[in-house]
Amino acid sequence: MKGVEIRARQQKGMAILEVEGELDFSNVEQLQQEIQRRPEEVVEIDLQGLRFIDSSGAGMLLSQARHLYRQGRTMRIVRIPDLIREDLEVIGFFRVLEVIETNPNA
Amino acid sequence: MKEVITGNGKIIRACGLEGSGCSLPAGQVGGDFFEFISCDERTVFAAIGDVMGKGFHAARLMETIRQMLRECVRINPHPLEVVRRLNKVGGCELRKCGAFATLCLLCYDGIAGRLTCVNAGHHPPFLLTDGKVKVARCRGVALGLLEDYLGSGAEEFFLAAGDGVVLYTDGLVEACGPGEERYGQERLKEMVRLQYGADADRMKQNILSDLETFTRGFSQKDDVTLVVMKVMGKAGERGGD
Repeated sequence: MKGVEIRARQQKGMAILEVEGELDFSNVEQLQQEIQRRPEEVVEIDLQGLRFIDSSGAGMLLSQARHLYRQGRTMRIVRIPDLIREDLEVIGFFRVLEVIETNPNA
Repeated sequence: MKEVITGNGKIIRACGLEGSGCSLPAGQVGGDFFEFISCDERTVFAAIGDVMGKGFHAARLMETIRQMLRECVRINPHPLEVVRRLNKVGGCELRKCGAFATLCLLCYDGIAGRLTCVNAGHHPPFLLTDGKVKVARCRGVALGLLEDYLGSGAEEFFLAAGDGVVLYTDGLVEACGPGEERYGQERLKEMVRLQYGADADRMKQNILSDLETFTRGFSQKDDVTLVVMKVMGKAGERGGD
């Protein structure tokens, strides 16, 4: 599948967004809008079906995480495929997530 | 510094080092860049980076970061200070646009033979010494993601004549052929190992030829940028003390 497909559901007051396909600069707004639309305190992004992410996708996830933490809410990114995890580790993605969890204005 | 510029490529000779780099855009213009900066008669900088996004905005931001990088080197050429300062001034510009940029900065002292590496969210360089490839360990958070640069610090290596250094962007290792398999770091590492003895420009051309063989003309999602440097002189001789 080219492009990205997002399935949204609610579980125990938490929003779960399952992301499948390829997340890049051409479709990153789709997921961004879906995250912004959710009113739940916790938004979980399930990346199990993600095959590719570019820098626009990674940047958007971090800016949305920062935005939610500033509001006192939480964003969790779960079930990250190994290759995607390696790509994200290179840019310092998880280090930034750790920092903004405690200080969203860092 | 002697420079030859050809299309997307550049070849330099400075401080006992030869360097060859090129940037191949995928589709519309992207944010990849590389730069050679002559600092003084004994020191030359090489940098590679990738600004988030595609198109005009990414290209414009990339030019801004390149200019700021040159200015930061001029103000204080200590490699870690260059990256810290660039994260402050460039990071501010990047955050205004909701973007970030990766950067790997190398500083080569041709008298001491010392290579200093500072990384901000980029793939660390490969070092080719005595036919063996070593991956640098330096890591760090990409520019613009945090107000203060966070990284493992400056890593140093001493190079001898014939030793090589290879920098690349993610577009190279993530390139795919007709199947979904990536070119990958292991294939690149092996290809670099096979280049021992070749000059910098030949190394670069051989790696790009192998990439073309792998991708078989399949169109790519991301730009490919590759920079190869080699200490001039006969392999095995010391570049300095």
